[in-house]
Amino acid sequence: MSIENLFFQLCASLLFLTVILLHIVKKNISEVLLYGVQSVAVVLLMGLSLFKVSSLSLMAVLVIMLVVKVILTPIFFTRIINQYKLKFTDSRYLSTPITMFVIALILLLVGSDVFRPLTEIAPDYKAYLTLVLAAMLISIFLITNRKSVVSQAVGVLSLENSIVMFAIFAGLEQSPLFQLGIIFDIFIWILLAVVFVSMIFRHFGTLDATNMKNLKG
Amino acid sequence: MELIFIAVLIITAIASYFGRRIKVAQTLSVIAALVSFVCVSDIAIKVSNDGSYSPFKFIYVDSLGAIIMLIIATVGLAAIIYSIAYLGTELKKKIIDTKQIRLYFALVNLFLAAMYLAVSSSSPIFTWVCVEATTLSTALLISYYNKPSAMEAAWKYLIINSIGLLLGFFGTLLYFTVSQTVAAGEFITWQSLIANASSLNPVMTKVAFIFVLVGYGTKAGLAPMHTWIPDAHSKAPSPVSALLSGVLLNVAMYVIIRFKTVTDIIVGPDFASRLLVIFGAMSVVFAAIIIVNQLHYKRMMAYSSVENMGIIALGFGFGGIATVAAISHMIYHALIKSSLFFSSGNLMLKYSTGHIKLVKGVLKAAPVTGVLLLTSVLAITGMPPFGIFFSEFFTFTGGISQYPVVVVIVVVAIAILFIGFMRNTGSMLFGDKPSDIKTGEKNLWLIVPPAVMVLLALVLSFYMPPFIQTLIHNAAGQI
Repeated sequence: MSIENLFFQLCASLLFLTVILLHIVKKNISEVLLYGVQSVAVVLLMGLSLFKVSSLSLMAVLVIMLVVKVILTPIFFTRIINQYKLKFTDSRYLSTPITMFVIALILLLVGSDVFRPLTEIAPDYKAYLTLVLAAMLISIFLITNRKSVVSQAVGVLSLENSIVMFAIFAGLEQSPLFQLGIIFDIFIWILLAVVFVSMIFRHFGTLDATNMKNLKG
Repeated sequence: MELIFIAVLIITAIASYFGRRIKVAQTLSVIAALVSFVCVSDIAIKVSNDGSYSPFKFIYVDSLGAIIMLIIATVGLAAIIYSIAYLGTELKKKIIDTKQIRLYFALVNLFLAAMYLAVSSSSPIFTWVCVEATTLSTALLISYYNKPSAMEAAWKYLIINSIGLLLGFFGTLLYFTVSQTVAAGEFITWQSLIANASSLNPVMTKVAFIFVLVGYGTKAGLAPMHTWIPDAHSKAPSPVSALLSGVLLNVAMYVIIRFKTVTDIIVGPDFASRLLVIFGAMSVVFAAIIIVNQLHYKRMMAYSSVENMGIIALGFGFGGIATVAAISHMIYHALIKSSLFFSSGNLMLKYSTGHIKLVKGVLKAAPVTGVLLLTSVLAITGMPPFGIFFSEFFTFTGGISQYPVVVVIVVVAIAILFIGFMRNTGSMLFGDKPSDIKTGEKNLWLIVPPAVMVLLALVLSFYMPPFIQTLIHNAAGQI
């Protein structure tokens, strides 16, 4: 196996493992740390692509991703956690064994013929695409299974990381339009997360989404 | 040159936010909406004559795009005018302050600019970026009243739509992965996707369309991804609900239809059509079941939007004459639904509640609003002579031979929905008004926008200007 392939495997595995661990960890700060780690994996992968093609626009995207995903976002969430003393986030709809069972089902689904066309986009990277696709679906499951607003926000950001990594393995990262989409998505989500997470805590005194019960009728 | 109105909207948004006087924000917003209306009408006439409008590489407006732009311009202008009177009344009642009004006009202008750009963009990714941009302004507009319930609705909207839009983005990327132009680093447009359709893998295209349909279908309010709609519509200020329901849902549906056009070339029309029929039928049935027992009138209207987007999806799914009907339905629904939300805003100002049970005797308390509400309800439920009756009739005519069971189920659902709608509205309109509610309308400008919308819908039911007719027929031919 070449060094490049080892590197790809490392990045894809990091993303996959962090998404799984996001379902298991009980501390908010661990969630943020895991998000930071998976963002590093995505940035490293993007960095390798930049190393190959030396594109100025790709470099700009890389710098923005590094600053926003790896530095600013974890700092922002850490501040929120410390400010509101939100140490633990052990609140999910399904218990850990059932959560793991659902994750196993997702893995079975991704490995089945249903998703074969997606993993065969780049035949050389089929295994990595499978891992990243699984990470995507497990991220969506994370958003729906967690009660904490911070966990839900991290879930959306994790889904976004998975899509970015998928695009890199599919060879789309050099498309200026893809880069535009990613930068814009990062910008919008971080902005809204900053505004809403703070506002929700001020209104509800907690970031547990199950305490939001005002919408009935 | 015509696109200068988008710059006007953005400048107005900035001036509204940073300006100190609300009069400036209000005046500039009306001017921007009027300029937009004139420019969009000009663009629509050009598209009707030339088939498309593309002043430069990044902009491409086709016939369906021109129709959607006309809808944005018309409902946008009405919403801005209505907002001035509506927010003015709320300011007097001390529900909001002047800073919130400036923020409101800034966000609404940004929302309108993002929707115009989404529809006129030549690139699927830029369209996605603009649809995502609508999330920024609308999330803040839904949480506008800064109450726990509004915050909850905004968070729900944010989470559901973010997942949806990321899936839509993923679906868009899948179309790109198999397009030959990506490798060359070219700017991929809707046209280049169609031109490269032969290089797209059919199986991959099917998967990509499913992601796009689920993704943008979330924004379009198709069941079962519709769950944000009743919460967002009921918590946002009424003119924003009108824009969300009458305009934003159509913009998202427009994107789905553009991807359907590409997909049909590669895998044939059956695949996308069947999916649209399934999602459309589910939307109508879900909405009908829920409307019957609805307790909140704005939520009832929101579910009606789910139903109408379902009918539009069915029309595009059935094809043929139903496609023409679906496009007409988009126009009629936008006009009538905005009138309904404007009327609901009047009720909210009058009764200070959204509960159906607590609103009685509207015809006595606010006769003009009452008549407008009744007329709009009759129109939205498909009563003749309103255009929605004809568009629904032709939608079902177009689908009866291919999908008879679906048509029967949907017609039954619409009948249930009609009963639910009339029962709920009837209880609000008739009877004696509460003694503490004064008789009379709050402000003339709270009456004019919904009245104009209803009147316009009625006129368009019998007379469609030739250039709009051309646009509808050209759009139907391209889908």
